[in-house]
Amino acid sequence: MEPLTSCPDINLGILMSLDDDTVQEILQSYDGFCAAAKSLLNGSIGHDFVSHVHTLCKHGLHSLARDYFLRSLEEAFEKNGASRFWRHFEDYSKIEEDLEKIDEDEIQRLLCKALKEICLEKENQEKCLLMFVHALQSYMENLSDGKHNFDAEKVYLFSKYQLIVSSILMASLPRHFPEVLHWYFKGRLEELSTIMDGELNEENDCRDRDEMDLDEKSKHRSGEMDIDECYHQDKFPENNKLVRSIGKVVRDLRNLGFTSMTEDAYATAIFLLLKAKVHNLAGDDYRSSVLDSIKEWIQAVPLQFLNALLAYLGDSISFDQHSSGLKSPLASQPSSCCPGTNTPSEGLIRWKLRLEYFAYETLQDLRIAKLFEIIVDYPESSPAIEDLKQCLEYTGQHSKLVESFISALRYRLLTAGASTNDILHQYVSTIKALRTIDPAGVFLEAVGEPIRDYLKGRKDTIKCIVTMLTDGSSGNPNGSGNSGDSLLEELNRDEDNQENVGVDDDFNTDDKQAWIDVQRWEPDPVEADPSKGSRNRRKVDILGMVVGIIGSKDQLVNEYRIMLAEKLLNKSDYDIDSEIRTLELLKIHFGESSMQKCEIMLNDLIDSKRTNTNIKATINKQSQIGADAESAETGISLDNLDATIISSNFWPPIQEEALIIPYPVDQLLSEYARRFHEIKTPRKLLWKKNLGTVKLELQFEDKAMQFTVAPVHAAIIMQFQDQMSWTSKNLAAATGIPVDVLYRRISFWISKGVLTESLGTDPSNHVFTLVDGMVDTSKSGGNSGNCEELLAGDEEPERSVASIEDQLRKEMTVYEKFIMGMLTNFGSMALDRIHNTLKMFCVADPPYDKSLQQLQSFLSGLVSEEKLELRDGMYFLKK
Amino acid sequence: MGKFLHIGVGFAGEDESQAATWHAVASWTWDAQDETCGICRMAFDGCCSDCKLPGDDCPLIWGACNHAFHLHCILKWVNSQTSQAHCPMCRREWQFKG
Repeated sequence: MEPLTSCPDINLGILMSLDDDTVQEILQSYDGFCAAAKSLLNGSIGHDFVSHVHTLCKHGLHSLARDYFLRSLEEAFEKNGASRFWRHFEDYSKIEEDLEKIDEDEIQRLLCKALKEICLEKENQEKCLLMFVHALQSYMENLSDGKHNFDAEKVYLFSKYQLIVSSILMASLPRHFPEVLHWYFKGRLEELSTIMDGELNEENDCRDRDEMDLDEKSKHRSGEMDIDECYHQDKFPENNKLVRSIGKVVRDLRNLGFTSMTEDAYATAIFLLLKAKVHNLAGDDYRSSVLDSIKEWIQAVPLQFLNALLAYLGDSISFDQHSSGLKSPLASQPSSCCPGTNTPSEGLIRWKLRLEYFAYETLQDLRIAKLFEIIVDYPESSPAIEDLKQCLEYTGQHSKLVESFISALRYRLLTAGASTNDILHQYVSTIKALRTIDPAGVFLEAVGEPIRDYLKGRKDTIKCIVTMLTDGSSGNPNGSGNSGDSLLEELNRDEDNQENVGVDDDFNTDDKQAWIDVQRWEPDPVEADPSKGSRNRRKVDILGMVVGIIGSKDQLVNEYRIMLAEKLLNKSDYDIDSEIRTLELLKIHFGESSMQKCEIMLNDLIDSKRTNTNIKATINKQSQIGADAESAETGISLDNLDATIISSNFWPPIQEEALIIPYPVDQLLSEYARRFHEIKTPRKLLWKKNLGTVKLELQFEDKAMQFTVAPVHAAIIMQFQDQMSWTSKNLAAATGIPVDVLYRRISFWISKGVLTESLGTDPSNHVFTLVDGMVDTSKSGGNSGNCEELLAGDEEPERSVASIEDQLRKEMTVYEKFIMGMLTNFGSMALDRIHNTLKMFCVADPPYDKSLQQLQSFLSGLVSEEKLELRDGMYFLKK
Repeated sequence: MGKFLHIGVGFAGEDESQAATWHAVASWTWDAQDETCGICRMAFDGCCSDCKLPGDDCPLIWGACNHAFHLHCILKWVNSQTSQAHCPMCRREWQFKG
């Protein structure tokens, strides 16, 4: 360029030396040059073009000529190239509005046509430019030594031209063009992916053979072979053709300066395709792992495509490098399109990472959004959990999981409609699932908190937890896993496994183990709450977390004791194997001393069995002497009587209800007690006549029905043996139970169709009559007359043991007077103050030992009884 | 009428072995006059502070004075006395009630 651009002072000299002839010459040749350039651009080769250029150059006006030429190129391109190019796409200006009407093939055809046209135009113009350059060149060569480097000028002009082209196109770019590109690539990629999907399946096995017939691009591949042997590009003729056609479009677009836009377009298309694929593969099936197949697909389709594309473009770019050199400045240097033979592999690796990250993120988002469902069917959905774990390891977006899952929980689980049992099961599944994802339990802490808080507010939480822990059948309502195993047993198994893997106890670690532990140490995730203690203390302990809901193990043990009592009292055999098992497991977790009372209860049953056998043995000895007249009459003897003998001090308070049992049975009980007294002098038996179970058979003329009922039911029905119908008052007197209780209990027999209820003369005194023809019972009792019903079938379960709330209420009523007195004196008091005052003054008999929470629940009971009032946290006497 | 014949306790049906069918519940008591042992202050129907299981494992014993104690408690007391032991309750000479 240096020799062509003259200094300004020389120019001035030239101006001075101009005479008319020269001016004339210049004007002439300028006009000629303009005309020639015009005709050149119109396609016909203008005569004297070269000589005009020479003349102008001679007068030092080469820059004028150059500028004029470039400007006319610009005008011509604008007119012939750009506007025509854009006109092709005018139909698509509303592309965003009606997506359904898009015909991808049409777009493809159109784009190819338009590109071909504009590229042809550009090529022509480049030829013209080349001619101009040659003209300049020949002048230079004539002029002087011709030794200077003309390439620089050429490069400069071409880059200038390239710049002009892209700026024209960019300046007139219609808004919908990127959309058109996007649709084009989308269509192509989908086509490609269907081809590859189809062929991948058949061709997996003949990969080796295919790798042999590579075409001339194999030189690129040799470098990539060790990246991944799965790139079988050039494998299928038709997709190769497809890739080529895409490659050509990309190259053309790039040639026009749309490099970054093109890349954006195909990247978006690839990502969209990948996203669709991930959604398609992952779907709503959590029972299989999809990560591998997604990765496989990434290898198979988009990466292969990119590989082929980059390889194809690699050629064209390195060619461009030599011809035009500088790239359009508007095009950012794309990372993945570096020219050269060995760089595509690097670009490809970057692409691979990008795609995989995207796939991980997409899958992760998908799974996180559905995490609630995934956890609902947890043991089956563990592959999905594993996938999620891998994704999260890659993306590190655990906090997203926590947030989304918590809101899902709040919305779907922690509502009044969900049963406590379901919440607990979900909680346990959550613990198990998240333990896989995050062994340190940091996120579990965050996720579990709302559940725990919510469960604390529910009344039946403790009961459900105990049931879940100890009761095998309800531990796994879906029958998944080993049905019949309680959660506790499962936990125990888990723990055994865990302990075999790593010994975590502080005291028995030797130096070697300690060193191994140290080496295994990993820092807590950044989200960890430093106040929650270090990682090993946070070791995920399901039982601990479940008990943590309740607050203390004492409450849990107490509830368990009540449930155990209930269960034991309703046993008619002495089979307590499963209870012993559970107790042993509980002892491991809660310590022997806290389970002491439960152990005594079980021991009572074992003792009862032994005592029962001993007592029976004494009968057999005496039975030769002669059976009782009464018992022979009723058909029952001591053989028909079993007893559970309890150490009442160690059992939870037992509900006693008055009950007069039929005389023969009562006699038997006395007899039994007498024998017990003989064997175990000086101990005596006190019967709890309302407890126990009775199996009885109702014999009718044509059939017999069998029931297993509570003593009160037996007592009622046995009254009907002598008398067909009873009024409720008489019956209540005969059985010794209050009338309202009688109504409740007798409904059992009515529902079985054994008794009917009718209004007698006195509306408050109903008449119960035995149903004579047992016609309708055969329906309700099933077709075999043998309907053995469980205790108290459909009526609300009667408890033989007082519930915790009842106990608490009973214990607290002592303090009611104190509280009332305090409030009379002080007017109003806060919960804390009542609690502290009670603690201070009620030191003896019985000492006040309740927790703040228990006091609160008692006070709220008083509030609901309208004895107290609660305003702004202060309790008042209700006036 | 009169089709209802009989209520039998127990299943007279096919399962003859299942004879026992009224399963009752009772609690036992030592039937001492007092509630708690005068030595350990634990309930008689419970067990002394050294025992884990009540009942046969921790029996009561009556003295000639008709005062009852946990066997283990009174034995400890008797053994700790150098001379003749007295009943902790009434200071009479301790004799086990035959």
